[in-house]
Amino acid sequence: MSGKSKAFTKEEELLLQDFSRNVSTKSSALFYGNAFIVSAIPIWLFWRIHLIDIYANLISFVLVTLASTYALALAYKNTKFVLKHKIAVKREDAVTKEMSRKLAEDKKMSKKEKDERILWKKNEVADYEATTFSIFYNNALFLALVIVSSFYILKTFTPAVNYIFSVGATSALLALLSTGSQ
Amino acid sequence: MMNRFIIFSILIICGVSEIFAETCQKPEVIASAYVTEDATILTNVAFTTQFVLKCSNGVKGITLYAEVDGKSLPAARLSSDNKYQVSWTEDVKKARSGDYNIKLYDDERYAAIRKALRNGEDPNSVKPLVVVVLNNPGIYRGPWINSELLAVLLAALVSYSAFSSKFKLLA
Repeated sequence: MSGKSKAFTKEEELLLQDFSRNVSTKSSALFYGNAFIVSAIPIWLFWRIHLIDIYANLISFVLVTLASTYALALAYKNTKFVLKHKIAVKREDAVTKEMSRKLAEDKKMSKKEKDERILWKKNEVADYEATTFSIFYNNALFLALVIVSSFYILKTFTPAVNYIFSVGATSALLALLSTGSQ
Repeated sequence: MMNRFIIFSILIICGVSEIFAETCQKPEVIASAYVTEDATILTNVAFTTQFVLKCSNGVKGITLYAEVDGKSLPAARLSSDNKYQVSWTEDVKKARSGDYNIKLYDDERYAAIRKALRNGEDPNSVKPLVVVVLNNPGIYRGPWINSELLAVLLAALVSYSAFSSKFKLLA
């Protein structure tokens, strides 16, 4: 906190984090864990509702779930990247106000230190909101599309084909859509 | 043949059918009924009613004819102690809910109906021996909204909120 080099490293880190598509390990674990759970949910739908034979289709279940986990994690990551800057800009004023009020009591702190703290807080708030919103957004879309395609679009196919196409195509579509800038 | 019919009708018109020994006097029925209500797995609805006919003069074993909504049906005698059964099926689309009046006729009343029909008269002028009421509480055709449609609607609602908040953030 007192050393100049330490502050610089922090700033550097913040800048790096702010402008890269890479996410922290914690965030990545959250994304992959979530993507796995959401990709595995359709197995229940196909097993109990579409009455698929779970043992005969074990291989396709595993492969489709893994592929869909990867695609969804990619979609989370890309959506988060797009949203993070927008959210940071949106929340900037509120975060600055709150942090300024909090830090106003501390007379010893330099202006630079305060700005740094505000920037750090802003980054944290934007990161958290973008992460959670990205998970919510992609999960909502994924489950809605899986339900629609499995019950209506691919209704005439056998459950095994229906499963592979509805889950596979939906996760691929979400990964593709997330690469857009909007 | 003709003579017999004339005598028959005269007797009925005069209301002296009581002279026939096998006529049921002051008929009373104790009925129970069953309707197959679950139309989600059926194409036809079955109606069945069982009743015990009681006559004040203790007549037993008479033949009964039933008529429901203009359809004539046999009333099957189940046992010698005046237990009968009437059953029929109807297409699920045509079956209505509410009371079904099962009009029961004995031999001579049934003959009178047939005669009325033959002569182009109103068969309703012949009073039935007794009327059994069967109530159809309504057929279950499945829920108004099936579960997958409900799931789609709910998922669409959540997706809509996700979309709208994303556009709000990106605006």
